[in-house]
Amino acid sequence: MKIICVIPAWNEAKHIIKVINQVKAVVDDVIVIDDHSADNTFELAKSAGAFVLRHPINRGQGASLQTGTDKALKMGADIIVHFDADDQFAATEIIDVVAPIIKNEADIVFGSRFLGKKSNLPFSKKYIILPLGRLLNHILGAHTSDPQSGFRAYTKEVANSFRIENNGMAHCSEILIKLSHSHWRIKEVPITVTYHEYGQKFSGGFRILKDLFISKLGQ
Amino acid sequence: MLQQAIALIFIAVFIWRLFQQKKKKQIGANEFILWLSFWSLGALAIIFIRLIDQVLVRVGFSGSGINFLLYLAVISLFYFVFKLRLKLSKLEKNLTDLVREITLK
Repeated sequence: MKIICVIPAWNEAKHIIKVINQVKAVVDDVIVIDDHSADNTFELAKSAGAFVLRHPINRGQGASLQTGTDKALKMGADIIVHFDADDQFAATEIIDVVAPIIKNEADIVFGSRFLGKKSNLPFSKKYIILPLGRLLNHILGAHTSDPQSGFRAYTKEVANSFRIENNGMAHCSEILIKLSHSHWRIKEVPITVTYHEYGQKFSGGFRILKDLFISKLGQ
Repeated sequence: MLQQAIALIFIAVFIWRLFQQKKKKQIGANEFILWLSFWSLGALAIIFIRLIDQVLVRVGFSGSGINFLLYLAVISLFYFVFKLRLKLSKLEKNLTDLVREITLK
């Protein structure tokens, strides 16, 4: 089975080479979507041996993931892995995330920070932001333990069955909700997340809520 | 009376600008008709404000006509902002599709 990892990147010059080198070791191909970075993410990703595409203007992480997924399908991927460029995830855990798909136990696998493995989650994230996100997803029909997991893998059939429409950070909830309402087999596996920066703040949560609401109204 | 005159002057300026925009082809015929109707109705409502007062009292409202117009204006504004937001999100989606097509070429 051909496994292709899609890494959306925006101003990630600091981490991109390390991430690509680690990911390359466990997948067949790495696609980096440079979302019009102001730094030299594009050049660095190329030099690290990834297949790199660059958005002519900045469109957001959700948009980059869909562009990368489209490219992965064109390159003949059987399994597509979504992975962050900021060195928060452990590349070796890609093996755990794709394993249920290879064993034909699942069509989609979400990495979860809440299934046993230790992550250095900031207090407010662990006890306020993420529980609120979980509650929102729960109301909208997604019952996974991690409401904002950016580490996921799915089959080419799943990738062909839906589109990521939220350009921004709301894509995480969008993917969870869309796939939770589908007939595909979903599984969660524990992952480790190492926070170098705080990442999404409380205001980001409101933006996600607003984006989900607007996209729902626009349908 | 003075307030009504000021409001009518404002509306006259908006209508004059509307005709200018139409002349410069900055807005389409449908949009021109929509806004012309909107401002004309506004002008009529201001001219016949006393009549609106009487009608409102007859149907059971205690507020004055100008309050009613204000509520109506706020509701209209919310509606237009909402419509604009939807249009904007559609534009954003089209822009992303275009960017993706260029990127994947």
